[in-house]
Amino acid sequence: MSESAIRLNRVAKTFPNGTVALSPVTLSIAPGSFTSLVGPSGCGKSTLLRLIAGLTEPTAGAMTRTARPGGTSFVFQDATLMPWATVADNVALPLRLAGVADIKTKVDEALERVGLAGFGASYPRELSGGMKMRVSIARAVVIGPELLLMDEPFAALDEFTRFKLNDDLLALWQNNRWTVIFVTHSIREAVFLSDRIVIMSPRPGRVVADMAINLPQRDADLRLGHDFADQCARVSAALGDAMHAGAAA
Amino acid sequence: MKPAIMPAVFGLLVLTLWESAVRINGVPEYILPSPTAIIMALWTSGPELLGALAVTLQVTVAALILAAVTGAGIAFALAQWKTAEQTLFPYAVFLQVTPIVTVAPFIIIWVENIFVVLLILAWMSAVFPIISNTLLGLKSADANLKDMFRLYGASRWQTATRLLAPSALPYFLGGLRISGGLALIGTVVAEMVAGTSGTYSGLASRLMEASYRLELARALACFVLLSATGFALYLLLDALSRRLLRHWHESARHES
Ligand SMILES: Nc1ncnc2c1ncn2[C@@H]1O[C@H](COP(=O)(O)OP(=O)(O)O)[C@@H](O)[C@H]1O
Ligand SMILES: [Mg+2]
Repeated sequence: MSESAIRLNRVAKTFPNGTVALSPVTLSIAPGSFTSLVGPSGCGKSTLLRLIAGLTEPTAGAMTRTARPGGTSFVFQDATLMPWATVADNVALPLRLAGVADIKTKVDEALERVGLAGFGASYPRELSGGMKMRVSIARAVVIGPELLLMDEPFAALDEFTRFKLNDDLLALWQNNRWTVIFVTHSIREAVFLSDRIVIMSPRPGRVVADMAINLPQRDADLRLGHDFADQCARVSAALGDAMHAGAAA
Repeated sequence: MKPAIMPAVFGLLVLTLWESAVRINGVPEYILPSPTAIIMALWTSGPELLGALAVTLQVTVAALILAAVTGAGIAFALAQWKTAEQTLFPYAVFLQVTPIVTVAPFIIIWVENIFVVLLILAWMSAVFPIISNTLLGLKSADANLKDMFRLYGASRWQTATRLLAPSALPYFLGGLRISGGLALIGTVVAEMVAGTSGTYSGLASRLMEASYRLELARALACFVLLSATGFALYLLLDALSRRLLRHWHESARHES
């Protein structure tokens, strides 16, 4: 394996109020990989993502990242758009903050990629939940991110919309090979998208299982096959063990 | 359409009752003038009263603009520096709870220019809702959006202009709507207390003069003009708020 995109060495986080959100986590992420992070609510997944993004500091351990400054994008569970700005202005935000040139071309291209060409002049409130999430993804990818962090991005969407967005995200990633870390509660979603699934224990979170997902030819038909069902069963069993491990500890 | 009819009918009804009560009982005009007498007074002294209204409005509008600018500026400063907020906000509250009538005598002694006296007093009445509302708006900027700005390396200035200011705008405009009425009230009270006359005579001083002379129809005509002005000011600021927020804020949603 080449140099890691991210390397966490016994990284831990205790909040000032005494909550131990993460017990030491050691993890290394390969460049261009798609890793899903699953685990029970409150086990520290969001905290881990925020640590990797540099939005909060670890209380112990060390972290290294290869992504250039400003080369990391974050997608939240809520689309987190500026309601006062048009779709185009929302997508342009990271470029404007960085003072990049040729914004319009890049924004149009990003909107095209998420299937929203022609919606640049709309305001967020005119869009459905799925479309808002697409805008959020366009804003994340417009900078050509080296690292894309996604925190339960599709959890608030209906199943149909979610499948569609999964398909489109998969296609985007296959074409661009950003390093992605994806938090989800859905085992099917994780298996469908990832080449690696990391399972965390109940709080304080630590890594209890780390499994590679090997599936041939990923596309929308994949969900129908036996391989897919087998992998889901395997992850589900591991997650069950993880909960036990947490309860016993 | 419909919502406008009911208040109009109600108003007409009250005016008719008032008119007939005054006529039937032969109430003298220096006790209670009839609505038609007030309308006559409005008609005959119209140009002169409108001139006085212009003087009052000048102070009110100047005070409101000053309150908007300084109020928003103070709120920004308080939001940027926590210690400043902790140190100074209690004094802003002090400004709000102090009846301006009690401050007026001092301002009149210290400041010579009567326009400036009126301006200070009207500003004092109007500025607090803008400070407190804008401060609330600045603090309620979305936490995830703030993280987004941080992640992309936004400068303090970029965060202030592109995130904090738009987040605070609906709150600021809510404060401005309240302050419009307060600025007018402040101007009127200031005129009455300062006892302005001659060179700087606004509508409130005309009202006082007329009531001293027991010209109640004329006094009430002034009153009607002042109320209508307050109402118009509110409608104007409400329209401004809807216009600025029309694309995105819930408060401006049901605009035609
Ligand atoms: N800013 C904070 N201050 C104190 N406790 C926090 C803070 N953020 C999260 N926590 C706590 O840390 C734990 C992990 O939270 P989080 O990372 O959001 O979990 P997850 O995303 O896996 O549901 C939870 O118990 C949560 O209540
Ligand atoms: Mg979370």
